[in-house]
Amino acid sequence: MAAAYGAARRRRQALWFWVFTGPFVLGLALFTYVPLAWSVWLGFFDAHNTVSPTDFTGLDNYREVLGDPAFRSALGTFVLFTAFIVPATYVLSLGLALAVGRLRAAQAFFRSVFFLPTACSYVVAALVWKLSVFNGVRFGLANTVLGWFGAEPVAWLSATDPPWYWLVVVTVRLWLQAGFYMVLFLAGLQRIPPQLYEAAAVDGARPGWQTFRHITFPALRATSVAVVLLLVINAFQAFDEFYNLLSDARGYPPYARPPLVYLYYTALGQGQNLGLGSAGAVVLALVIAVVSVVQVRWFGLGRREA
Amino acid sequence: MTGGMTGGTGGGARRTDDALVRAGRALRLVLLIALAVLFLVPFYLLVRNGLAAEEDITSPEWTFFPSEVHWSNVRELFTDPDVPMAHALLNSSLIAVATTLGTLLLASLAGYGLARIPYRHADAVLYAVLGTLLVPAAVTFVPSFVLVSSLGWVSSLRGLIVPTLFSAFACFVFRQYFLGFPRELEDAAQVDGLGPWRTYWLVVVPNSRPVFAAVGTIVFIGAWNSFLWPLVIGQDRDAWTVQVALSTFTTAQSVKLHELFVAAAVSVLPLLVVFLVLQRYIVAGVERSGIDG
Amino acid sequence: MPISRRLLLAGGAGIALTGCGSNTGRGGEGSGRPRLSHWYHQYGEAGTRQAVGRYAAAYDKAGVRVEWRPGNYDQQTAAALLTDSGPDVFEVNGPTLDQIRGGQVVDLTGLLEGVKGDFNRAVLAPKTWDGRVWGIPQAIDTQLLYYRRSLLEKAGVRPPRTLDELVDAAGRLTAGPVKGLFLGNDGGAGVLGGTPLYAAGLSLVTDDGKPGFDDPTAARTLGKLHRLYAGKSLLLGAPADWSDPAALIQGLTAMQWSGLWALPQVKKALGDDFGVLPFPSDGPAGKPAVPVGAYAAAVSARSGRREEAKAYVKWLWVERTDHQEDFALSYGFHIPARTSLAAKAAKLKEGAAAEIVGFTNDYGYAQPLLWTVAAQTAYQDALSRIIKEGADPEREVKAAVRRTAEELRRAGKKS
Repeated sequence: MAAAYGAARRRRQALWFWVFTGPFVLGLALFTYVPLAWSVWLGFFDAHNTVSPTDFTGLDNYREVLGDPAFRSALGTFVLFTAFIVPATYVLSLGLALAVGRLRAAQAFFRSVFFLPTACSYVVAALVWKLSVFNGVRFGLANTVLGWFGAEPVAWLSATDPPWYWLVVVTVRLWLQAGFYMVLFLAGLQRIPPQLYEAAAVDGARPGWQTFRHITFPALRATSVAVVLLLVINAFQAFDEFYNLLSDARGYPPYARPPLVYLYYTALGQGQNLGLGSAGAVVLALVIAVVSVVQVRWFGLGRREA
Repeated sequence: MTGGMTGGTGGGARRTDDALVRAGRALRLVLLIALAVLFLVPFYLLVRNGLAAEEDITSPEWTFFPSEVHWSNVRELFTDPDVPMAHALLNSSLIAVATTLGTLLLASLAGYGLARIPYRHADAVLYAVLGTLLVPAAVTFVPSFVLVSSLGWVSSLRGLIVPTLFSAFACFVFRQYFLGFPRELEDAAQVDGLGPWRTYWLVVVPNSRPVFAAVGTIVFIGAWNSFLWPLVIGQDRDAWTVQVALSTFTTAQSVKLHELFVAAAVSVLPLLVVFLVLQRYIVAGVERSGIDG
Repeated sequence: MPISRRLLLAGGAGIALTGCGSNTGRGGEGSGRPRLSHWYHQYGEAGTRQAVGRYAAAYDKAGVRVEWRPGNYDQQTAAALLTDSGPDVFEVNGPTLDQIRGGQVVDLTGLLEGVKGDFNRAVLAPKTWDGRVWGIPQAIDTQLLYYRRSLLEKAGVRPPRTLDELVDAAGRLTAGPVKGLFLGNDGGAGVLGGTPLYAAGLSLVTDDGKPGFDDPTAARTLGKLHRLYAGKSLLLGAPADWSDPAALIQGLTAMQWSGLWALPQVKKALGDDFGVLPFPSDGPAGKPAVPVGAYAAAVSARSGRREEAKAYVKWLWVERTDHQEDFALSYGFHIPARTSLAAKAAKLKEGAAAEIVGFTNDYGYAQPLLWTVAAQTAYQDALSRIIKEGADPEREVKAAVRRTAEELRRAGKKS
């Protein structure tokens, strides 16, 4: 009798589960999984300018994309970009959170200032960066400042030696996202019980670096893991700022070309090699999946210590 | 957000060298102010260039603010026959509001279901949802476009809104939050004879406002700022969003900098207002939502 | 306000999967006339949008709705052509070989019956495949070198007639913040494309379908472009790119590569203080070169009203020479695609404009249809690395030749 009751209860719960999640799951299936499966399927065909190809080519597209030096260099660009942007954002947003969190006055003001760029789009930010801050001529802000010190104007986005474009690309994303992660860290700081600090003080830990090293930083572990994971996934999906900063009507320079930009020019522009683009996309999605899973396993996402 | 929250210095300060601490605090403040100025520079440039004459912007001598403020740039923008800016603002508002409401509804329900209703395959569903986070949207872009256009939704608000309503990120945030929602409240509702549906609407939602505010703001920003999808779906001029209208200034053969910047400023302004008003809730929401793990 | 009604359907219902009539921009109009949608990319010149709207409104056999597309036009048309909700008629910087072979555009050969000889041969050739015409050229664009007479005189530099002279002149004209030459913010790889090759007497693709730059001359010529970059005589990072004469007008550069369309602006701002040149020749086999090209009007094979669309294209781009002339000459500045119209146009008969028309006749080359996007990307990457990174021209050219040969093989595979 208890078993029968349990079964009925389970069935009722299954029904409720689908009442709550059904509409969402259905939409996700239609608007994400159907196109995804379609892309995977396209990857096995010669699909120039068509989404219903008939010329099955097996793994040719995969061979071609993996053999393409441009694709491999795109992956290299991603690694380099991640190596810049992840630590930079991490350090800046954590630093901001620590500094803002300790303010006695004007805390809300500073928080707003750093958080505000989150509201801007990549399109607008790229505009300001490309046309006003880092344009290559004498009336750009950066070159004006250089001019005050008597230096020559620098063509920030066009110069490859030294590769000044990295400064432009990294700072625009840093400006846009640091405030958001600062808020995440602020939330994490709020959750640290004050007793921990009191205990540390009793033990003779000096405020400042020692307290940070032994109390604050370890207590922020969960937040740190989530922030790094989000940063890496977002870096993988970088497209908007690169495209808006570096592309022109004639194409895109052969440097600073992350994977999505490569795929865009292969499959979405006039190239329309949808088979090759899809194969590259699948490779990219797999790389993202592996990296994320490794990160989650390594750091143990979701383990909460508090 | 009361004082003494990060009492790291509070207890120890008395015992250490007071002057050192005060110097450190001053240095920190100076650094913060410098950074704040840097963070505000882009906004300043938007306003400076947006209200200047073309010659002021391209002049080799840097001027900190246009000697004569050209409010006429704003008028020029809204009367430009080639760019329906006012209409685009309206479209963006409608799309952002509808997307936000729709996403909150769908994702919160799903998040609650995943967090709170025991079901054998709940984990599988959760992984299926999370899996989509790993796939960049650009990857499935062409098939999505073909799919939506075969539904006949090109150039319609439906086409601009509906496909973007299913945010795995929002769903995950809600699930994480609801995992930590106090069970006692729900139990009390059940004792009162409420089923899951009414429990959700009468007890859970009213007690979760900050999370809704936080997720809602993030979704709203995303919807307002999205570019590639509206560009391709909104083929009809009547369906242009602000970002699409803005892009017309950058892809024209000759760039009018002052109009470009005033357009950019106008496109950012509504969001800044929303942001400043809602900021409190966003921060509170993030603190309670578990977005940060 | 139809939009709020649509919002209620879309937003309010959340998932209005099954819904009422879609709005693809060509729903019924009430009357019996068919509706056609006609896409243009966004032209920079004021008045063009209004003009094409006027032409469309003047057509009485169908209601034509003009769509004006900002942003990356090629990408938008490419995506739209995959669906039924794309345009009926569209202008295209092509059509590309893959669009033609993929059956995405309609054969328009019949429209040109009797007048084919009147279209400029150079620009009609890349619209032709297998002896059939797939797009009707609208107006010819070309590019050329503008220079400030006064700055050249002041520096004692004469207008360059060879590539070496150009490199030398650019260096001598560079003085402080004013640079000698502007070839676009990317250093020239994008806009120059095949032009230096043609100036050296080579080509992108030969008439018999082989890579046209598999020659030691190519590396030598392209290598000279690096000297421009290395000598810091190129303007880089200007807010407006090469297509806009702003850099020349604002005095940021003494010479600029730009389009014919910029001529009215240059003339207005600089008066007589400018001259025009083709890209200078290089080597004994070389001769000056200017690229010519034309946007073409094409009909989508996915259109439900192909015959009506063809009739409309014939009306506008074949029969209505008055509209064609207005389109080419009244807003920006283009050469009509019809030689009879070009010969008549008073605006093209004097001054710099006449010189430029002469360049296109004597030195004009058009990108061959077989020059596919993949080949172009490979070549442009190579050129960019040669110019900006000083990469070994021979090795880079060889890689681009290899990629081009692959693409040409693919193109020959099943024609």
